Amino acid sequence: MAKIIDAKGLACPQPVLLTKKALEEEAKVTVIVDNEPAVENIKRLGKHMGCTLHTEKKEDGTFQIHLSREAGGSADVPLDVSCATGPLVIAISSDRMGRGNDELGYVLIRSFLHTILSLEPLPHTVIFYNTGVKLTVKDSEVLDDLKKIEESGVSILICGTCLNYFGISKDLSVGVISNMYDIASTMAGAGRLVVP
Amino acid sequence: MTDMEEYHVILFDSVHHALRSEKILKEIGIPHKLIPVPRHISSDCGICLRFTANLRNKIEDALTGKVEIREIRPL
Repeated sequence: MAKIIDAKGLACPQPVLLTKKALEEEAKVTVIVDNEPAVENIKRLGKHMGCTLHTEKKEDGTFQIHLSREAGGSADVPLDVSCATGPLVIAISSDRMGRGNDELGYVLIRSFLHTILSLEPLPHTVIFYNTGVKLTVKDSEVLDDLKKIEESGVSILICGTCLNYFGISKDLSVGVISNMYDIASTMAGAGRLVVP
Repeated sequence: MTDMEEYHVILFDSVHHALRSEKILKEIGIPHKLIPVPRHISSDCGICLRFTANLRNKIEDALTGKVEIREIRPL
């Protein structure tokens, strides 16, 4: 039987500290938490301590992380904790990355979007506005990457005003059309906001 | 499943050669993709051209003599 740690409602870094203590005593531990930073901190701890682990997301919004410490795994590891609250949000404000040279900027934005898929953890939301929306319509060269990002569970919000301005609303091929209320509140509620 | 496909990449000494290659392949309609050079190949901030292995001969024919290629290798 796994030892069960109920860490719901506890402020960071309590859940990861309790998990570490439990893993020093038991080989199998199940932790229940109610926020994603705690999940990520516990996953990192588990990896450092040589655990196999899997995470279940429950319908009530909590997460169960099952950790099993392998023989040879060390309990003497540094704590690697990030207490940033709120999700990672990426805002794509242009179909170029950076200013200066458009040809280069277009190469960079494609590379950036391709690389999002290998981020860990994945962003919670990617928002497209201004000329950024041109990347989300049919014949866009990054559509395959964006579809994979969406299939991985990332929410993709597209500025409807912007699609309308460029006359490309009917060509939208990924994500959901959104408005400034959602876009502003998603950006304001982000733990970290990345604007390439 | 596209993920199961075997890919090769072309590495270049200059971003300009990568862009010229992309232009040539677009014009003749050979599927490909510019991607950042994967970390396991190089830590440079570079871009490379990825394609499915079965297109290798076609792509080499299309680019030979027109752009400078550093290396073609499996991904």
